[in-house]
Amino acid sequence: MTNLAMWSRLKSPWVIHFNSGACNGCDIEIVALLTPKYDVERFGIKLEPSPRHADVLLVTGSVTKQCAERLKRIYDQMPQPKFVVAIGACACSGGVFQGSYSVLSGVDKILPVNAYIPGCPPRPEAIIDGVVKLLNALAAPPAPKAAEEPQKEEAASEAAKEETVEAAPKLTTEVKPNAKQ
Amino acid sequence: MIDYLLLIFRVLVFPGFAFIILFTMFCDWVERKIEARMQNRMGPSFTGPGGILQPLADFIKMLTKEDITPCESKRNVYRFAPILALSVLVFAISFLPIDGASVIPGVSFEGDLIFVMALVSVANFLLFLAGWSSNNPYSSIGAARVLTQFLGYDIPLFLLALAPAFLAQSLTINNIVAASGQWLPFAILAPWAFVLFIITMQAELEKDPFDVPHAESEVVAGHETEYSGGKLAFLKLARDVQVVFGAALITVLFLGGANGPVPFGFLPEFWGTLWFVLKVIGVVILSEYLTVLFARLRIDQVVTLNWRIMLPLSVLSLMLTIGLAYWVYPLV
Amino acid sequence: MDILKILETKLQGKPVEIVPDYLGTAAIKAKEGSYRDVFKALMDADEKTGVTSITGIDLGAALGVFYHVRTSNAFITIQVEVPKENPKLVTVTDITPSAAFHELEVTDLIGVTFEGNPLEGHFVLPDTWPDGVYPLRKDVNPNEVKLNPSPPEEKFEQGKQVKIIIGPQHPALLEPEKFAVFVDGETVKAVQPRIGYVHRGVEKISEFRTYIQDVYLVERICGICNSCHACAFVESVEKILKTEVPPRGKYLRTIILELNRLHSHLLTLGHAGLEIGYETLFHYFWRDREPIMDITEILTGNRVVSSAMTVGGVRRDLKETDVPKIKSTLADLRKRLPFYTKVYREEPSIGLRMKNIGTLKREDALKLGVVGPVARGSGVDIDVRKDAPYEAYGEIPFKLITYKEGDTWARMNVRMDEVEESIKIIEYALDHLPTGPFRVKVPRVVPPGEVVNRVEAPRGELFYYVKSNGTAMPERVKVRTPTFANIPAFLTTAVGEPLADVPPNFVSLDPCFSCTDR
Repeated sequence: MTNLAMWSRLKSPWVIHFNSGACNGCDIEIVALLTPKYDVERFGIKLEPSPRHADVLLVTGSVTKQCAERLKRIYDQMPQPKFVVAIGACACSGGVFQGSYSVLSGVDKILPVNAYIPGCPPRPEAIIDGVVKLLNALAAPPAPKAAEEPQKEEAASEAAKEETVEAAPKLTTEVKPNAKQ
Repeated sequence: MIDYLLLIFRVLVFPGFAFIILFTMFCDWVERKIEARMQNRMGPSFTGPGGILQPLADFIKMLTKEDITPCESKRNVYRFAPILALSVLVFAISFLPIDGASVIPGVSFEGDLIFVMALVSVANFLLFLAGWSSNNPYSSIGAARVLTQFLGYDIPLFLLALAPAFLAQSLTINNIVAASGQWLPFAILAPWAFVLFIITMQAELEKDPFDVPHAESEVVAGHETEYSGGKLAFLKLARDVQVVFGAALITVLFLGGANGPVPFGFLPEFWGTLWFVLKVIGVVILSEYLTVLFARLRIDQVVTLNWRIMLPLSVLSLMLTIGLAYWVYPLV
Repeated sequence: MDILKILETKLQGKPVEIVPDYLGTAAIKAKEGSYRDVFKALMDADEKTGVTSITGIDLGAALGVFYHVRTSNAFITIQVEVPKENPKLVTVTDITPSAAFHELEVTDLIGVTFEGNPLEGHFVLPDTWPDGVYPLRKDVNPNEVKLNPSPPEEKFEQGKQVKIIIGPQHPALLEPEKFAVFVDGETVKAVQPRIGYVHRGVEKISEFRTYIQDVYLVERICGICNSCHACAFVESVEKILKTEVPPRGKYLRTIILELNRLHSHLLTLGHAGLEIGYETLFHYFWRDREPIMDITEILTGNRVVSSAMTVGGVRRDLKETDVPKIKSTLADLRKRLPFYTKVYREEPSIGLRMKNIGTLKREDALKLGVVGPVARGSGVDIDVRKDAPYEAYGEIPFKLITYKEGDTWARMNVRMDEVEESIKIIEYALDHLPTGPFRVKVPRVVPPGEVVNRVEAPRGELFYYVKSNGTAMPERVKVRTPTFANIPAFLTTAVGEPLADVPPNFVSLDPCFSCTDR
C-alpha cells in the first residue's frame, strides 16, 4: 500500500510556482519546462494554478520582505506531504541581491527547503535534474525524519521555524549553472 | 443465484463501475496525449507503457494527500458534492447500452433519455455547489460560470438530443440504438443535428472554446480551487467521467452505439463493447481536437453565442429533423 | 537645437539657466519653482513631450530632483534642488499626468513630497516599512531599519462595487504583484495597483559595488531584457569615461540586443495565448523561441542572462564558424513567421478576444507618455533606435512598425512585425560585421561626471542616469524601465471593460515587474 502511494507520488508531482522577487530569468526557464523542447508532462509534472492542488512548491527569487509573508501563506495552503524546491542562486542564498535592505536572501529563511538548484538562472535541464533528485531522495529508504510543519501560521515562532529547517532533508544538485561553454 | 451474481458483476465490474472508471482514465490519457501531440509535445510518457497509467497515478496520489476543509466553507455540501457528482454521472452512464444492453438489465423505460439528461443537469448543479460551498471568491465566480453555462446550453442540448429520438420515434435509449442499428447511424441521416450537438456538448463539458469556468488566467482553478486530497480526486474524476459520458451520449444518439458496421455472430457482447469503446474514443479525440484548435471565449460571448445562435439553430434543426422523420425518410 | 531656442524665448526673465549638451540635449537649472514654467513651455513646444523619469538624488546639503523629459528629437533634464529639512515641491501632474507614478516613487525612496499628487502610500517599499526613513538618502543605513508589524490582510469587499484582488500569487501573473480591481457586475470600475513585491533595492546596492560588479547587478534587474539593462549601463559608463567602443563590438552588441528583443517578443506573443486560453499558440511560440536561446548561447555562452556586455565592448567574440548556424536558424524562424502572422491577424477566436479591447487612442498615448510597442500600437512613432541611434542602429536600415488601432490586437501585431524586423537587423549585422577588436581596455576608476542614457528595450525606452564621484563605485544609478511608463495605460484602458478582458489587455503591455520595482 505504501509502495503504491509512493509510486503515485513519484509519478505525479504537481508543482506550483511562486516568484518571490525574482528577475524573471528563472521564471521563464520554469515556463520553458512546460513547452515542447523540455515538456515535463512526460514525467507527469504538471503546473497547477492553485496551491491546494500542488505537491511541490518551486520558489524563485530572493524573497523580498513584501513577499515573505505571502510565500509562507502559499506554503501553508498546500496539503501534506509537500516539498519546497529553491530554484536559482537568489532563492538559494540571495544571489546578487545579498545584502540589500529589502530582501531576506534565501527561501530557507522562511520555509524548510528540500532541494536547492543553483544557477543564475539554472538551465531547464538542471531544474528537471533537481526535481528528479528530490523525488529519488524521497523514494530512498530510510528517509530522514520528515519535516514537522508548523501547524498554526501565527504560532510559527522563530524557534519552531529553525527546527523545521534543521529537520528538512537537504540535498543540493551538483549541477554547474551554464556549464556548457 | 447466478442471476444475482451476474447482476453484481455487471454493476460493479463490467460494464459497470470498475469498467467505467478505468475507461475514463484511459480516455483522460488519450486526451492528454492527443493534446500534447498536437502541441508538439510528448505528453505523459514514463508512467506505465506510453504513460498510460498517468491518470491512475494522479488519482492515487490525490487520494493519499492531506484533505483540507476550509473552515469558512459550507462543510456538508463541500464534503459530499464531489462524491455525489461522481456517482450521479456514473449512474447516468449505466443507462447507456455499453455492451448492447444497459448496465442493469431491464432497467430501461420509455423516456429514459429525458431522465439521463436530467441526471447530467443534476451533476452539473452539484459541481456548482462544490464551488459555491468552498466560499472562495475564485470558486464562487467559477461556480457561477458553470451555472450560467449549463443552464444556457442545456436547452439546445436537449432539443438536439430529441432529433435522434424523433428519427427513431422513441424516447428510449435502447430503442434509439436499435433503430440506428437497423438503419444508418443518425449522424449520417441528420448531420446538422450531429454537428450542432458536438458544439453544444463542447460547451456543456466546459472545453475550449467554452472553458470559461476553468479560465486559469481569470479564476485560478474555478470551482476546484479550494479542493485538495481525496475530494479533489473525486472532483477531477467526476469531470473526466462527464467527458466520457458526453462522448458516450454522442455515440449512443448519433453513432449507433454498440452496433458495428459488420455484425458478428459469435460473442456479440464483446464486439459490441469494442465498437462502443472505439466510437467513444473517436468522439473524445474529435472533442480534444476542437479544444486544442481554439482560444477561450469570454463569458458574455459564450452566453450570446448560446441565445443568439445555438438556440435558434437547434430549434430549426429539430423542425427539419421532424419533417424528415415523418415525411421524407418513411418514403425511402 | 530648435527646442532650445524656443525655450530661451519662452523662458525670458525666468530664473533658469540652460546648459546645452549636458544630461541629454540640455540641462536646465530651474530655481524658485520655475520648473513648472519649463514644463509648460516644453509641453506647448512639442506634442511628443513626456516625462521619461524623475531622479531623486542626495546631493549632501540638499536633495536634487531631476526631471528627465523627452521630446520628439531632444532629451532635456530639468534640475531642481530642495532643502533637506523641508523637501517639498509642487506636483507637475496637472501639466502632464504621466508624472504621477514617478513623483510617488521619489517620495517613497528619497522623501521629497509633491503637493497635489493624487497618489499616496508606499510605492515600492514594503508595507511594513516605517515612515520617514528613505533608503536612497546617503545618511541612512537601510539594513538597520526596524520594520513595522505587518498590516492586516485585505479582504474581498462586498458592496455596490466588488473589490477583487488579483495577486500576488495568480496564474495570470508570472510575477507577484497585486491589483485591486473594483467591479460592478462584470464591468471594471477602477484598478488600483500595488507594486513593490519584487523591489530588491538595486539602486541602493549598486552604490556599494564597483562598476564591473554593477554590470552583473543591473543585468539581473530583469531576466528577460537583461542585455538591454547591461547595455544601457555600460554605455553610460563609457560616456563618462569618453571611451569609444570598436565597431565590431558595436555590431556584436546590436546582435545581442536584437536577439534579446526576439526572444522577449516571442515569449510575450506566446504568453498572450496562455492568457486567452489558447495553449496551442503558447506552445508553438515557445517551441520557436528555443532556437533563439540556442543562438544566444552560441554567441554569449549563456541561455538567458547573457552577461555579454562589459565596459568597453563585449566579453566574447563571435567565431566565424558559428555564423552559418546562426543564419540558418534565423532563416528557419523566418519561414514560419508568415503562418504566425496569419494566425494573429486572422484567427477568429483571437480577434474576438483581442480586437477593440484596451483601446488606447493616440492622444491618450501621448498624454500618458507610454513607450515601446504600446505607443507604436497607438500610432505614436517613437523608438530610441530611430530617435537617438546608439550602437550600430544608425547604420542598419530597418522599419519602424506602427499600427493605428491602439487595441490589444494592434500591440501584439506590432510585436509580431518587429520579430521580422529584428531578424533582418541581425542578418544585416552579420553580413556587415566589421573586423578588428571587439573590446577596448578601460580604467577601473571612473572620473566624476553624470550622464543620462537611453536604449530601446523590447518593452520600450529604457532610461539610465549614472553619476560617478571619481571612485570605483557609482554615486547614484537611476533606472526607469519601460513597464513603469506603460502601467498607467493599463489602468486607464481597463476601466469600463469586462473583467474577462483584463488579462489579455494586461499582457498586451508585456508587463515586467522585476523591471518596474528594481
